[in-house]
Amino acid sequence: MKSKNFLLPLLGLALAAASPARTVELLNVSYDPTRELYADFNKAFGAYWKAKTGDTVVVKQSHGGYGKQARSVIDGLPADVVTLALAADIDALSANAKLIPPDWQKRLPQNSTPYTSTIVFLVRKGNPKGIKDWDDLAKPGVSVITPNPKTSGGARWNYLAAWAYAKHRQGGDAAAKKFINALYKNVPVLDSGARGSTTTFVQREIGDVAISWENEAFFVLKEFGSDHYEIVVPSLSILTEPPVTVVDKVVRKKGTAEVARAYLEYLYSEEGQDIVGRNFYRPRSPAAVAKYAKVFPQLELVTIDSEFGGWARAQQTHFADGGIFDEIYTKK
Amino acid sequence: MKTFFRITFALAASGALAAAARAVPADTADLQALREQVRALEQQLKVLARQIEIREEAAAAAPAAKITINDKGFTLASPDGANSLKLRGLVQLDSRLFFNDGGIVNNAFVLRRARLIAEGTFAKNYSFQLVPEFGGSSVTIQDANLTVAVDKALQFKLGKFKSPVGLELLQSDSWTFFNERSIVSNLVPNRDLGIQASGDVLNGTLNYTVGVFGGVPDGGSTSNTDFDNEKDLVARVIASPFKNNAGSALQGLSFGVSGSIGREKTAAGRTSGYRTDGQQTFFAYNAATVADGQSWRVSPQLDYRSGSFGAIGEYVVSTVNVRPSATGAKAELRNKAWQLAAGYVLTGEDSSYSGVTPATNFDLAAGTWGAFEVTGRYARLDLDDAAFPLFASAAANADSASSVGVGLNWYLSKAVVFKLDYYQTSFGFNAAAPALSGAPVLRQDEQVFISRFQLSF
Repeated sequence: MKSKNFLLPLLGLALAAASPARTVELLNVSYDPTRELYADFNKAFGAYWKAKTGDTVVVKQSHGGYGKQARSVIDGLPADVVTLALAADIDALSANAKLIPPDWQKRLPQNSTPYTSTIVFLVRKGNPKGIKDWDDLAKPGVSVITPNPKTSGGARWNYLAAWAYAKHRQGGDAAAKKFINALYKNVPVLDSGARGSTTTFVQREIGDVAISWENEAFFVLKEFGSDHYEIVVPSLSILTEPPVTVVDKVVRKKGTAEVARAYLEYLYSEEGQDIVGRNFYRPRSPAAVAKYAKVFPQLELVTIDSEFGGWARAQQTHFADGGIFDEIYTKK
Repeated sequence: MKTFFRITFALAASGALAAAARAVPADTADLQALREQVRALEQQLKVLARQIEIREEAAAAAPAAKITINDKGFTLASPDGANSLKLRGLVQLDSRLFFNDGGIVNNAFVLRRARLIAEGTFAKNYSFQLVPEFGGSSVTIQDANLTVAVDKALQFKLGKFKSPVGLELLQSDSWTFFNERSIVSNLVPNRDLGIQASGDVLNGTLNYTVGVFGGVPDGGSTSNTDFDNEKDLVARVIASPFKNNAGSALQGLSFGVSGSIGREKTAAGRTSGYRTDGQQTFFAYNAATVADGQSWRVSPQLDYRSGSFGAIGEYVVSTVNVRPSATGAKAELRNKAWQLAAGYVLTGEDSSYSGVTPATNFDLAAGTWGAFEVTGRYARLDLDDAAFPLFASAAANADSASSVGVGLNWYLSKAVVFKLDYYQTSFGFNAAAPALSGAPVLRQDEQVFISRFQLSF
């Protein structure tokens, strides 16, 4: 009897040791301009996880415009994690489909936002129209490229940055509305997403200035050469905070909760933060912030919460049907 | 077409201007102005071309009608989701095996339910449901109703549907803890013709329903017509005060009360009978007994869910005025029943009012087994002593029934479920009853295994 009791744990250990390493597949549903960041990060996480557990992680990516991505997940796209441009998009996964708990944003540090960015201007080499700050974008004869805030999450950040500038520098919401009205009169093409807008400015050579996420502007410089384009940093902009979360209902069903959680937590690791900085997103960790301090210029940044009372209110006031953007753009 | 002409014109104009710029040796300022015009026209041309490109991209990416086939049925929906048509189904095949039943031949295979359910939504706010029943001995219409959703806080429903009184009765047939609802459901109305208003208020923490119905006997359903002036007013209020408190142990607690009040005047017996868990009749009024006067019901009820654990409890008082015959003296009878039932999902999935969704489906090749749930229930029904012997025979009826049930539910997938229940029901009798009941079914406790294979999508 004693020998049997002794043998059983040994057998268990032998079986555990002999169990083959698994291949785990994750789906990360993200927005348009994170392709390069996650292509880089996925490789690093795969190596880390392999070394830690022996398992192979294959991370599939899905990128698309604002709203469409969240809608796809609500409709059944089995995303293990979502890394979207707006907290409001992720809130919809909770409110409309109960895929995640309502307090999802408290589960990871810094409101589940492992990296940030801001809104800057991309101009043609030599800055022929002399663009220096937001005021210049509303002047007659300046052609501005920005996507449609009704269909693009990135465009909403652009719009809100412009609004915040005018509110602070020109004296309140009424002045901001007038400024936004003038600015959008200078927009000849409204693309549906941020990447499309970059195509319009860079490849179709339309416009004098593109309002762009900082990481996207750096991407253009890297891909198309700093001898063709320049980045202009306005005096005031908005801190863009793209959050991330595990999709609880999906990972429970697929049995991928542990690796999905580790995937997002790894974004906060020193290696993850370094990759973030390398891909022109502003990192959070002090070490990475110090390392990339020269890349990212200092400027006055407002936040969505302090300036607009959070996404829900901003959405209702500015972008909902019949909101201020509709009023302005219909007039045009 | 208009855009095409604009582009053609712009091309021609830019070409002409470029040629002019080359041909005329004007001074530098003129040349510069011409170049500016060319540049501006080029930009216009590019903008027009890009606008066409974006329009084409948008057209290509425009969502098409969606066809979805999953464990919730077949759905055909318009791109914006405002219009949809859904086809669902429910098939339940039961096996009933009685023990120590005094030689009564009542073991059976039963096609308990066989429904093809059509549902749809039009213009986002108007939806319908049509549920024919092919199980049993004849085809009937279980539900046929239209809902107008004005707002989350106000929805109107009209047609034939479940009267909002009994907690377990209102739960879908597919997702009750047990194969058969408890004996409590004998005292609440089933499907009726009517109109009701309902909605969620106070941030979803309070649900109300109020309606006017034709009025049906305990456990009964309408025969699709209601030719009398007597109607029932039915109301139900359910509070879920901690619904929005994430992490609270009481987040899944709902409780409330429902009730109905009306007048009944019938030419035939008040009810066709109250049934045990094994679906055998243990009480029925005399054939000559008729309802005549006010009837009302009150039912406090609660539902609690916390992770894998779920429980329901309900108490019903049903009061009716009856006469032993059309001309006999009237009496008010008050029957009562209550139940407490609970379930625990052994495999860790959440218990919910709308069923268990297994984390994995049963698949031998993949080594996954679906979800398993154990259930338990106690229920009791007490008839008014005054029912005997004038309105019901003390020799042929029980005056109380107590039932204990235990069960095991195996969710092979969300759509396919196997349930095995054991019920034991003991009976009490009125003082006027003989030592040996006149009804063979009542001479011993009812002991029955009911197993069910269910397909529900």
